[in-house]
Amino acid sequence: MLLGIAILITAGLAFLVVMPLLAAEGGSERALPIDVTPQADLKRRRAVIYENIQDLDFEHKAGKISGEDYQAMRQHYLSEAAQLMLASEESEAMNDRDAYIEREVAACRARSRPPQESYVCPKCGYENAVPVKFCGECGARIAGKK
Amino acid sequence: MDRLGSVGLIAALGFAIYGMVAGAVAGKLRSARILKSAERAALGFLGLITMAVFALEYLILTNNFHIAYVAEHSNRSLPVYYKIPVLWSGQEGSLLFWTWLLSIYIGAIVLLNRKKHRQLMPYVISICLGVGTFFSLITLLVANPFLVLSLTGAHGLAPYTPVDGGGLNPALQYPSMVIHPPMLYLGYVGMVVPFAFAMSALITKQPGDNWIRVTRRWAMVPWMFLGFGIILGGNWAYFVLGWGGYWGWDPVENASLLPWLAGTAFLHSVMIQEKRGMLKVWNIVLVIGMFFLSIFGTFLTRSGVVSSVHAFAQSNIGPFFAVFLGVIVLFSLTVLFLRLDFLKSDNRLDSVLSRESGFLFNNWILLSAVFAVLWGTIFPILSKAVEHVTVTVGPPFFNRVMVPMGLLLLFLTGAGPLLAWRKTSWDSLKRNFAIPMGIAAVTGIILYAAGVRYFYSWMALFLCAFVASSVIGEFYKGALTRMKFAGENFLQAIYNLTMRNTRRYGGYVVHLGIVMLFVGFAGLAFKKQATALMQPGDLMHIKDYLIRCETLKSGDTPNYVYETADLSVVKDGHALGILRPQKRFYKASQQPISHVAVHSTLSEDLYVVLEGRDQATGKAIIQAFVNPLVTWVWLGGSVVFLGSLLALIPSRVERAMDEIRKPKQEVAEKEHAG
Repeated sequence: MLLGIAILITAGLAFLVVMPLLAAEGGSERALPIDVTPQADLKRRRAVIYENIQDLDFEHKAGKISGEDYQAMRQHYLSEAAQLMLASEESEAMNDRDAYIEREVAACRARSRPPQESYVCPKCGYENAVPVKFCGECGARIAGKK
Repeated sequence: MDRLGSVGLIAALGFAIYGMVAGAVAGKLRSARILKSAERAALGFLGLITMAVFALEYLILTNNFHIAYVAEHSNRSLPVYYKIPVLWSGQEGSLLFWTWLLSIYIGAIVLLNRKKHRQLMPYVISICLGVGTFFSLITLLVANPFLVLSLTGAHGLAPYTPVDGGGLNPALQYPSMVIHPPMLYLGYVGMVVPFAFAMSALITKQPGDNWIRVTRRWAMVPWMFLGFGIILGGNWAYFVLGWGGYWGWDPVENASLLPWLAGTAFLHSVMIQEKRGMLKVWNIVLVIGMFFLSIFGTFLTRSGVVSSVHAFAQSNIGPFFAVFLGVIVLFSLTVLFLRLDFLKSDNRLDSVLSRESGFLFNNWILLSAVFAVLWGTIFPILSKAVEHVTVTVGPPFFNRVMVPMGLLLLFLTGAGPLLAWRKTSWDSLKRNFAIPMGIAAVTGIILYAAGVRYFYSWMALFLCAFVASSVIGEFYKGALTRMKFAGENFLQAIYNLTMRNTRRYGGYVVHLGIVMLFVGFAGLAFKKQATALMQPGDLMHIKDYLIRCETLKSGDTPNYVYETADLSVVKDGHALGILRPQKRFYKASQQPISHVAVHSTLSEDLYVVLEGRDQATGKAIIQAFVNPLVTWVWLGGSVVFLGSLLALIPSRVERAMDEIRKPKQEVAEKEHAG
């Protein structure tokens, strides 16, 4: 009896383990998300430095650090933070550049397409995105396409 | 029920092997589906090991003596509250218990990280279940607690059920023994978690410092349990073994100290990595060291390679552990060398007078302590291998080496918080050290005047005053600053100061606990001891105590027979009450043990032991000790535990950091839900 229960429990657990493998692959389930993006990492490193500066300010206010040490160390931290900000901006600019390249490629593709007019429906005026015989909006035959 | 346990163990082994492989594959393919399957295997492992543990507990509680383990370690008249710890009182049961705690850790990691650390989790699960595979394998094949007793008869092997069991070792029938092993094991077992996170971060080349923060948080948990377990072990030794002390540099004690020392080094040096991006390789080495030493300690105490007062039978598990230790070293060093370029330091040490160098110095001493303890512990093995003679290194060696190291560490405990990060000028140094050093100097003079002349004790108390004033000064100055700039009252200021950075101020509380421990250690030098043969009416003097033997009684319980001495105690003309030391003889195990009686105060303990009867005179042999400051050890251990708990509470700063780490979609989901 107990042996049967034990085997049943094991089989049930094994089924639960195998189930995710049987599920259809697709959507957001396919790949593991990134834990820390490069941008988030830079942001975190900046946060650490700001935290260090806050600590330094507090220790200075508490009288633990001399004025000279305080100024020198604060300057160090600020320059580290500035470097990281620069790195962040470069990273974001890189993103902008990616977007610019994408736009350029799209425009280049558009230029290489047949004349735009052939996709415009003469009946409803809808601008079809690809060459079509019939309008995607109203179904009317598009002029010039036999 | 034994079959239920066996099936649980066999199936758990299967789930562990599957989860280990599936985790690695999920990491390699970055597959969420396979990771989900591995996570479920980890939870299944927890469920099945739990089933095996409950099966064994049931067999113990219901006196199923046909099971060899139950017959060997339990008996009918054993009270229920001592039947539960039978689970971890022998080799086989304690290995199952080890595996169970490991499965609880794994289950907790899976449940707490369902949406976090998705890149790290596959390898974390794989490594943890790899360790789970090893432990379930030896529990199943080498030290199985579900084996059935049998006798060889005329018709071959026949099942055999004894009328009663051999009983639990009398030394384990003590309240703190119920909680000491679980705490210690939680410490040993938990060391696998930071190891798994660190290795996983190296394998997946995790960017940033997030992984080291997670590793540190998971290292805090077993470190805290291990420390508390060690203190509880000392408490048990003090009240049960009857030799008047709590630490004897026994190999088993040393084995637990080794990973704790390595963990202490890591918890300090990791701060340099988090703050300054330095010592990355060093920290990984320490994480590997912590895990290696925890398994090494388990190997040392269970394989029988060194002799110890702790009564684990010698067994054949030694070679398995040796191979496993080899696998750990090979795996971790391979991963480390393959990822050395990933662990480049972001910064350099700016000045010798800085918090960083203070931590570094602390690390060197702690590591030297690890090597000294390790050397002394394995010296009998080495001497036997080289000289073919077993030479045991006793407490004098450990005390000679460890006391100066301990005092240096104590000094750094107080000096560290007074040093600034990056660089401290002489001006700041003088300003910060003046008051604590002044207080320490005054304390030192008072101690000398009061007759404290033993150098190490005087030095320990002098440094305790220095560290305590340095740490209390940190709280006080911080609170005053908040009162001045944030307009808070003193209590609010202390609370907000602590909660803003729980790790730092929790750490300071731990330092205060360490001070209390050292106050206790300082008392060891002033220990007094006396032995007397007594019968009713006899008197005994020790220090300023007068002990009078009132009666000698004997009695019988289902579990043991006993003899008790009623001793009335008077100090400086004041009656302190009756102390009742007892000598017990356990029927099932046929073993005697002394239960000491202690009158404790903050300043000293009067500790009396009934050793037995003198054969010639028939009088009771009473041994008395006056142990100064021992209570401070128990108090200090508790404060260290509480401080560690405080440091584990995520502070405002850490929560803010976690928000930055979260992937964008998760934050968006949370905002949407909110």
